[in-house]
Amino acid sequence: MEGYEFSASFLRWLVYGALGLTVIGTTTLLVLLAKDWKRGTLW
Amino acid sequence: VDATGAILSGQTAWMLVAVFSVLWVALGYFWGRKTKSLDGHMLADRNVGLALGTATAVATWITSNTTMLAPQFALQMGIWGMLAYCTAATGLFLFAPMARRIRTLMPNGFTSGEFFRLRFGKEAWLLFLAISLFYAFTWLVSMAIAGGVLLQALSGIPYRAGMSVILLVCTLYTLFGGLKAVIGTDLIQSLIILIGIVAVAIATLGQADLGQVHTLLAQKRPALLDAFFPAALMAIFNNLLFGLGEVFHSNVWWSRAFAMRPGVGERAYKLAGVLWLPVPIVAGFIALAAPALDINIPQVNMVAPLVAAKLLGAGGAIMVFIVVFSSLASSIDSLLASTSDLITQDVVGGLIRPGASEELLKRASSWVTIGLSFAAWLVCLGENRDLATVLFRAGPLVGSAIWPVIHGLYRNTTNPTGVTSAMVAGSVAGLWAYYTLGWYTASLIGTVVSMLIVLSTSKLAPRPFDWALLDPQRAD
Repeated sequence: MEGYEFSASFLRWLVYGALGLTVIGTTTLLVLLAKDWKRGTLW
Repeated sequence: VDATGAILSGQTAWMLVAVFSVLWVALGYFWGRKTKSLDGHMLADRNVGLALGTATAVATWITSNTTMLAPQFALQMGIWGMLAYCTAATGLFLFAPMARRIRTLMPNGFTSGEFFRLRFGKEAWLLFLAISLFYAFTWLVSMAIAGGVLLQALSGIPYRAGMSVILLVCTLYTLFGGLKAVIGTDLIQSLIILIGIVAVAIATLGQADLGQVHTLLAQKRPALLDAFFPAALMAIFNNLLFGLGEVFHSNVWWSRAFAMRPGVGERAYKLAGVLWLPVPIVAGFIALAAPALDINIPQVNMVAPLVAAKLLGAGGAIMVFIVVFSSLASSIDSLLASTSDLITQDVVGGLIRPGASEELLKRASSWVTIGLSFAAWLVCLGENRDLATVLFRAGPLVGSAIWPVIHGLYRNTTNPTGVTSAMVAGSVAGLWAYYTLGWYTASLIGTVVSMLIVLSTSKLAPRPFDWALLDPQRAD
């Protein structure tokens, strides 16, 4: 394993993947919020 | 950025602190004004829905460590450092099915301490309370210290003033609104944090090409790209087990399991795990981009704000300040609320005044919140910054509670004496490892020793348990 390094494409995949997941997750949270709000089931 | 490294003027910072403090306290008052019962104050009437349930789990798990320490991890341990940090999401994923089981077995439960008392008896309960309260108080103190230190570093607000204000604000809205205030503000805080880090990440990507970042790292700091980075690989195990121990035992997470309406807990915790998982990478990678952006980093723990301020100017500095303030508040309020619950229910209602009325417990709860916050404030006044590292020594202690919780929740043969012995032996062995072998082995050894004792004693001397006893109201 020694000397083996993460490639630029892995770094790209990792960062854009994480960013994409955060955006999707945040959007999902907002959609769920709107649904709970509409149904009166927030708490 | 001024000579001290502050990215924001004291005046602007105080204004932001004032605006958000008034907002949190007013919302706390608004949400708590109709709450009359103990269930309502401590557990938001046990009726929290999916959106708020998810948001509160995410916001609480995103501490100021996640937004500030993840970039530092990236700067010191590279790609593996970020990945190591992400493993803390495992705690949320694995707790998801447990949250459902907890809600089903204890529909009227209040605290994780109550589970230990009903499931394993007095000895294990007292030991658990000692471990859990020590851990919660240490976490609270370390967050308040982080608050003072960070506000000072970002804006020059004196340490004692920043630390006092953030503790006072969180205490006020927790006091007024109970868990509803904590969960409601958590939603707003989680959205601020998520949108803030995404904005900074997009701005960074707009100015630094990742290919160029990779080339520069390979030239200047090749170790950060190393796929075999021993220190970082060890950090993974420690972070993973620390996260599991923290989530499994802590009343912060159990109280949310009790507070969510039936059928919500499992989905909320899973979703929270998915949302939290990428945060250390999104917040962390900007540290790797610093060399490509030609940003000088005088202090490693200030890398995130410095990059944001450089890329986004005054707006970026304000955004980072609000994100840090939100991530501090979302953790401090949760710790205050759930630790107060643990002290009120288990210490006051369980030890000092068994059989106390609901009215008395509700009043006690307010005094406990004030007392807890005051005690934390007194400790933080000492400015002993090393106290924050005490939290890492608590790793093996909470690690030793992982198996008692898992086995006790899913197997009806767990031996209570075995559980007590497992927590004692696991804690002692883990602390020994911390001082002799190295910090990164402590949680691992504490957890494994405890696991072996729980499994072997339950196999050799099983003690059958009736699950109905976990819900005394039904058992009556």
